[in-house]
Amino acid sequence: MKYALFLGCKIPSKLPAYEASTRVVLGHLGVTLVDLDFNCCGYPARNVSRDAFAVTAARNLALAERAGLDVLTPCACCFGTLRHAIRFISEDAELRSRVTQALAAEGLAWSGHAGVEHLLTVLARKVSVDALAAAVRTPSTGLRVAAQYGCHALRPSNVTRFDNPMAPTIFETLIRATGATPVDWPRRLDCCGDPLHEANAQLSGHMTRAKIADALKSGAEVLCTACPHCHLRFDAAQTGSSDPTIRTLLYTQLLGLALGLPAKSLGL
Amino acid sequence: MTDEPPDRFDVAVIGAGMAGMAAALFAAERGLSCIQVGNGGGILFASGLLDLLGVQPTAERRLWRSPYEALAALALDEPGHPLARVEVPSIRAAFETMVTCLGAAGLRYAPLGDSNRSVLTAIGTIKTTYGVPLSMVAGVEALNVRPPCLLVDFRGLREFSARQIAATLGDRWPGLRHRRIEFPGCEALPELYAAHLARALEIGETRARTIERLKPLLEDAHAVGLPAVLGLARVGEVHAAFEAGLGVPVFEIPTMPTSVPGLRLLAALESAVSARGVIRRHQATVRALAFDRDEGAATLDLEGVPGGERVVARAVVLATGRFTGRGLTADRGQVRESLLGLPVRQPVSRESWHQSDFLASSGHAINRAGLETDGAWRPLDASGKPVWPRLFAVGSILAHQDWMRSKCGSGLAIATAWAALDQVARQLGGNGAG
Amino acid sequence: MSPAFFQSTLYASLALCALGLLWRVSAWFRVHIGPDARDVTFSRRVAAVFGGAASALFSLRVLRVLGTFVLDALFLRRLFANAKLRWLGHLLIVAGFTLLLLMHALAAVVSAKLLPGYQPTLYPYLLLRNLFGAMVLAGVALLLFGRWRQRRGLPQVRRPMDAAFVTLLATVLVAGFLLEGHKIASPRAFYRMAEQFSGTSDPAELKPLRAFWAREFGVAFGDLGESIDSNAVEEGRARHADACASCHSKPASAFISYPLSRALAQVTGILDSGRADIWLLYLHVLACFLGLGLLPFTRFFHAVAAPVSLLANAAARNRTQSVTVRASRRALALDACVRCGICDQQCSVAPLARYLGNPGLLPSHKLIATGELASGRILQSGHENDALRAADGAFLCTDCGRCTNYCPAGLDLEDLWIAARGDFAAEGLPAPAQWVQARPALAWAESMEVALAQHGFSDPDALFAPLSADRRSFSRCVQCQTCTNVCPVVAQGMDTEHGVDLTPQKVMNLLRLGLRDLTLGSRMVWDCATCYQCQEHCPEGVRVADIMYELRALAVHRLGSVRGLREPS
Repeated sequence: MKYALFLGCKIPSKLPAYEASTRVVLGHLGVTLVDLDFNCCGYPARNVSRDAFAVTAARNLALAERAGLDVLTPCACCFGTLRHAIRFISEDAELRSRVTQALAAEGLAWSGHAGVEHLLTVLARKVSVDALAAAVRTPSTGLRVAAQYGCHALRPSNVTRFDNPMAPTIFETLIRATGATPVDWPRRLDCCGDPLHEANAQLSGHMTRAKIADALKSGAEVLCTACPHCHLRFDAAQTGSSDPTIRTLLYTQLLGLALGLPAKSLGL
Repeated sequence: MTDEPPDRFDVAVIGAGMAGMAAALFAAERGLSCIQVGNGGGILFASGLLDLLGVQPTAERRLWRSPYEALAALALDEPGHPLARVEVPSIRAAFETMVTCLGAAGLRYAPLGDSNRSVLTAIGTIKTTYGVPLSMVAGVEALNVRPPCLLVDFRGLREFSARQIAATLGDRWPGLRHRRIEFPGCEALPELYAAHLARALEIGETRARTIERLKPLLEDAHAVGLPAVLGLARVGEVHAAFEAGLGVPVFEIPTMPTSVPGLRLLAALESAVSARGVIRRHQATVRALAFDRDEGAATLDLEGVPGGERVVARAVVLATGRFTGRGLTADRGQVRESLLGLPVRQPVSRESWHQSDFLASSGHAINRAGLETDGAWRPLDASGKPVWPRLFAVGSILAHQDWMRSKCGSGLAIATAWAALDQVARQLGGNGAG
Repeated sequence: MSPAFFQSTLYASLALCALGLLWRVSAWFRVHIGPDARDVTFSRRVAAVFGGAASALFSLRVLRVLGTFVLDALFLRRLFANAKLRWLGHLLIVAGFTLLLLMHALAAVVSAKLLPGYQPTLYPYLLLRNLFGAMVLAGVALLLFGRWRQRRGLPQVRRPMDAAFVTLLATVLVAGFLLEGHKIASPRAFYRMAEQFSGTSDPAELKPLRAFWAREFGVAFGDLGESIDSNAVEEGRARHADACASCHSKPASAFISYPLSRALAQVTGILDSGRADIWLLYLHVLACFLGLGLLPFTRFFHAVAAPVSLLANAAARNRTQSVTVRASRRALALDACVRCGICDQQCSVAPLARYLGNPGLLPSHKLIATGELASGRILQSGHENDALRAADGAFLCTDCGRCTNYCPAGLDLEDLWIAARGDFAAEGLPAPAQWVQARPALAWAESMEVALAQHGFSDPDALFAPLSADRRSFSRCVQCQTCTNVCPVVAQGMDTEHGVDLTPQKVMNLLRLGLRDLTLGSRMVWDCATCYQCQEHCPEGVRVADIMYELRALAVHRLGSVRGLREPS
């Protein structure tokens, strides 16, 4: 199993532990990761120009296609964004021709073959949950974990094809594979508030804190994430806060610990 | 997109209204692999109440205390009515299964029996229904006995007025009082939305403050009626907290759609089918459906999924609904079935679609238009034969019923879905192999 | 050239240089970049930097700091990792120039003291001087070639002063080579030296020596002609050994000057009579002094600023420095930037810059805009478009940090961009979400109406907002309010002071009514969290969230064109 690793803009500088733990865990599970000269997925451009967004995203897809690989990204936001680009380009012929032209100026082309996967979809459906469970050495038995799905991977489901958007199970299944106990919490599918934090910090903060409070109230000990935006948002909201806090863990860290990998290698 | 072979399923359910959800649920319960396409639109507009059969015949507006007796009468009067064609034990089993699955998904209903129940609606009329969520069942008893009772609404929640309900009931419930309170924290907001109130009440502090505002208004009330905002995902917990806090039975009254009970029902159904491994395709439609007679499989081409998607199924259940859900489309002269162009039983001429009195109790001929099916619930082609051996039709797309006037929407959906899946299972040989 | 003239011009240019350095360095403590640095005083900044430096020097970190300095500032390690050709060019220039400076310009204090028996006309110094000069020229050529190779890439930042300074540098070297080449071939130089060291300048008496020098040293005596008597050469060799050899090696080892002298041989007479030796010397020396004096005022001040920046970077090392230190590093960055453009190559949103046609997104351009903002230049009237484009670029950064990681000058660009954004916002040029929300939706709609009546808009809507331009996208909306009920922004509006002005279903309704322009400035559109709950739930398949995104893009485009600078809030 070989993928082009798409880290996006947040992970390398703001959450290097996610990169480290992703590489270590996937390497341990026999997944080869290739580094290409990717650029930003295009997410910030969605607010500014549809064309620019599509071209920026498509450039990444073209690079992956040239390398003959599908893209794997640990960032739910990049995952959703790239998939949105695929959608817009496939349904709009004029956009497609503009994108093709722009890419050709760089000697690149995307014919629609490079696929985009998220870390969790690869783990659950390609590596398989059974394989994960079999590889677990030190199960996190008794650890109560709240899964933070994150919006951009989950919705809109016809674009992201991640899981059932109203009743997803993939993340809980993966948590169970590590031996931990997933917690059912009412706000589990809610937005963490990150996309709003620059436009409206107050509103964003409300959303983030509401989620943390709900996870704690539902008995969770750990808030498990699969997106750097969600993870950083929770950490930012809890830093210096007088409200009760919850421990945040990336899924790769949770899995890595259960696989028996050294905590330091996972960025812990 | 990698070019992979299409996924194969035992059953493809087209439509995610009550009938489609029931079909998917029952397919999974029978161990069949299932893919379901469509949005839960109809369910969003539901009240959470599950009708079985309330009015028969519709022309007389005759209400029945027992839906099963009504069914018996239906079998005599209208043997062609879909509900008349499902055996009563199957209907009971279908409802029990549905209610059990919903309960397991966090939406609990009062135990089903042999009787219909009467509940208040948001505009103060009285509705006959069968399955009642636990959060609403105290209202049945209250409406029955009519003790002193308090109805409360929230300023800003425009889809619910306690005063309206009391006014509609008039002298029929003298002990019914109505009050309006401010929802805690929303005093400055001009407009409120039910779902947000429901989520807010899942927060202990907000809930406690609301209960505190209600307490002084209780006086001699034996029960309190509220708009259906007692929680979204945790209705049981919120409802119990209100009853404990106020010391009297509390009941919800469904608000106008899109109501919280509709959202709860949708969430519970999605959770139930998802937990049973049904693959869902939201915001997608079936663009084309083709039958391969040799392979004994149907190919569905989906639209709305980027790049399209093709799936193969051994059986197909059409649960696409009527005009709102676009299972049927009508132009000036004809009603068509949208997906396959199946023959639609309909009034001979356009002039006979409607009666001149819009609210005529016997209804309009157009309401009874729909698909004809054989004894195994398979839609018929122009020559009267099943279009395909394993194509089935369920729910409101069927002819010979007027579910709104009969108060049998959920019953129609759940019962026909059950019966059709029996046929599917029989044809596919019990538990699905694929 | 008289020693007095030489000294006085040297001191004058040194003084100018020193004053310039002082002025430029003081700017690092004077210039305010970033709202958080506004209140940090000059003295606090000076104290913080010196304090920080002291604590770094007198700690265990000092070795690592100095080690990083040597690797990054002297051996340009970061540049080597990214752009080997440029590294080579730069190293050649710096090494060549430094060695020239030490061995040749400062010969009196360096070479004379360190190298026993040093004479500039001896081997190997002839060779070395040419070698060092050649290194500088080769380095310049490599860098120019690199620039030329990138000419079709991203737009590069240029300054006219750069060209001037490079020309000055080239002048120094070319004049130097020409001077040396001329002197090698010059009979006048020969006669001057002969008179000084053998007491005579009579051509007849000096014939043997002249023959030797013509053959072996390339002097172009006009009267000796092509064939030279070998006996005279041998006799000249003996006399050379007595009088000249101790100071003169054959100039053939000067591999640039010597061939140059051969080329000049024909015109040596003209040059001699024109006193080329004087004016070439003046050109060479004065160009040097001019460059020295002007150095702090050109971009090549980076030779001072960049090493300081690298030192500061090495001292920082994974520790967040206090704002008093960072305030100075930001101003330092404006000087230490070497305009190498590596940040642009690594920038994650560079494709956006290309496609949007706004180089203001690129780090090198942002850095200049930051400086112009700090000085207020970009805010002057006539620069509105520049200011707007710079602000647009500033807010599309994803803070990926690659520019910072790859910068060979160790600039803390991440911090600089955050500060710059704060400055832009403070000057009425915030991010779109802020400038749109500064006015109510109705006010924007009115401005749009005026603009539409006056000149219309050239781009078709479908380019930016195809869904909202096609009524089929929202004509199916039945106003069921499901989107509003599942919207977390509307939900949270219940806990804050004010809710959103419109709800999602109201936005769709306005579209249905053909009143799209009313939505562009609404809070709902800009507070949308893009969680897609609305679109996922919509029973009619209306792509609500996609439309929200489109309305934003359309708003940035349309409202941007009716937006004035410094909107009253």
